[in-house]
Amino acid sequence: MTLIIGALLFSLYRQLVIEQQYQVAQHLASEKLRYQQLALTVSRRNFAAQIRAADPKTALIAWRNSVDMVGALSLIPDNMPLLPQTRDFPILTGGPDKLHILTGGIVLTRYGPVLIATRTDHLATLIDKFINAAATAVMLTILLTLALGYLFSKAILRRLVHYRRLSEQIAKGHYDTRLPESWRQDEFDMVACQFNQVLDTLETNLTAVRGVTDNIAHDLRTPLSHLRIGLEQLPQKSAAECADASAALIEELDQCLATFDAMLSLTRIEEGQQALELQPLSLRGLCEDLAEMAEAVAELKQQTLTLTTGKDFEVQGDKHLLFQALYNLVDNAIKYSGEGARIEIIQEGRRVEIRDNGPGIPDDAREKVFERLVRLDPSRHQQGTGLGLSMVKAILARHNTKILLSDNHPGLVISLTFQ
Amino acid sequence: MKVLLVEDDKTTIDYIAKGFLEQGHSIDTASDGHQGLLLATGGHYELVILDRMLPLLDGLKLLAALRATGDQTPVLILSALGHVDERVKGLRAGGDDYMTKPFAFSELLVRAEKLMQRGQSQPQQTDLTVGLLQMELLTRRVTLEGQELLLQPKEFQLLKYLMEHPNQVISRTLLFEAVWDYHFDPRTNVIDVHIAKLRRKFEELGHGELIETVRGAGYRLRQRH
Repeated sequence: MTLIIGALLFSLYRQLVIEQQYQVAQHLASEKLRYQQLALTVSRRNFAAQIRAADPKTALIAWRNSVDMVGALSLIPDNMPLLPQTRDFPILTGGPDKLHILTGGIVLTRYGPVLIATRTDHLATLIDKFINAAATAVMLTILLTLALGYLFSKAILRRLVHYRRLSEQIAKGHYDTRLPESWRQDEFDMVACQFNQVLDTLETNLTAVRGVTDNIAHDLRTPLSHLRIGLEQLPQKSAAECADASAALIEELDQCLATFDAMLSLTRIEEGQQALELQPLSLRGLCEDLAEMAEAVAELKQQTLTLTTGKDFEVQGDKHLLFQALYNLVDNAIKYSGEGARIEIIQEGRRVEIRDNGPGIPDDAREKVFERLVRLDPSRHQQGTGLGLSMVKAILARHNTKILLSDNHPGLVISLTFQ
Repeated sequence: MKVLLVEDDKTTIDYIAKGFLEQGHSIDTASDGHQGLLLATGGHYELVILDRMLPLLDGLKLLAALRATGDQTPVLILSALGHVDERVKGLRAGGDDYMTKPFAFSELLVRAEKLMQRGQSQPQQTDLTVGLLQMELLTRRVTLEGQELLLQPKEFQLLKYLMEHPNQVISRTLLFEAVWDYHFDPRTNVIDVHIAKLRRKFEELGHGELIETVRGAGYRLRQRH
């Protein structure tokens, strides 16, 4: 800003100087012509008279008339060039400003060399004044720029300080704090908006985690307190009882660890942190293995498990995870459909259905069963982590597979459509 | 059998070392990565049990360095990092087996012995005999005191695994892996149910006690009764 003004002023100054030099040159050229003409037309005496009568305001003349000097100037300095070349030279006068600067040159006439000069010091003063004025202007601009810059940066700084204060609050755990967004929609507001979105996501996740932590606390606390009681009683037992009691405690502990592992791997699958080992799988093959594994478990509850397969379908999936999901669904059917129930696994092309004729799931609970640690049995009497269906949902979501629960009148139908 | 254990947790070292010594194996221990690599490259071990998070040198880097020298000693990775992708990472780095902490010693022992046997060239077995039990692997015929047992394919595989490790406690996880080609924790009694069916067939011939349940650990096939 200041630089631009400086440059402008400087070019103006250059212009002024050039203009002034041009004016002086013009003036001296016309005077030169006048005296050359005069010398040709008038006598030597008249020439002297004309020179004497010349107005010193237009031009200062000096002419060496045989003996004495004629004109406003009393001498001709040495080395004066011929016009149009000029030279600056100083003179002394009796006036208040004793020293003057003149610009002039020699004209050769019929009566010898004549010095024609003009005063340029008033122009020099003008230029000095101009320089002064320009310097003042530049100084003022610098000051003004600094002042404006200071005020402007102070306004920005104030917003940054405000942001910082709010972030400190968030760091202290006030996760509901948000950065203000103004009507200006400038870069700061864009940053604030982005920041607020991040905070929204974080807050949602935190709330979810809190809910889960409460459930975990409940699910792990019970077996852990059993463990504690068991360990406390251990020293009072006889050697024979001790082995049995420790084994029971280890089983209890394994249960805790399993819940813990399931929790961790569920999060990893849901968040997409766990890379899937994709490979082409036969859906019919998966269902056959599934039936073979689950059949004996069903028999134990006098249930019948049947498998019906149709046209095979090749699915790109993670073998272990996908099988786990399918097994969890069948295992749930076995667990909850009661003694003597009938369970069917039906595979046809890309569709797999798992049907049972147990009590089923009420309409309003069908979404809820997929939530973490939710169990429809409020006493949490059945053994399990409460994570099975959340895991199923997460695994299927990673495989772009749709899951639908519907009524089997009576019982439950789970339909999966693979991609 | 000479085993090297690279592990930085004192309790785990004592637990594993005691177990291997009781089984008649000799065991050396290293408590950081540098020492571990030094011993592993010069020690002529038949098995290395390797923790992953070690001071000075990470377990997987140690493994990579060992494999880079052309050393093919079986390595069993024993780590608290238990997710599938961590397992894959460990096996890709050149590990031969992967176990997650916390673990049962009986399972570690079975896995370790399996890895150590791999190095020895054994004549291809055609039948197994454990006490009164006989199994012909080619014809899949199983007899108990000369009487034939009719087994389902999965029951046959379970019994085969148990007969390969007589008198040893075999965890449910090991049995599950031996019989099914899926790696996950079924969280239910799948193995128990299949073992129960197998045991019922033994009971019909009056020898149900041969398959013993070890609470909190797994199952054991007894050589005599």
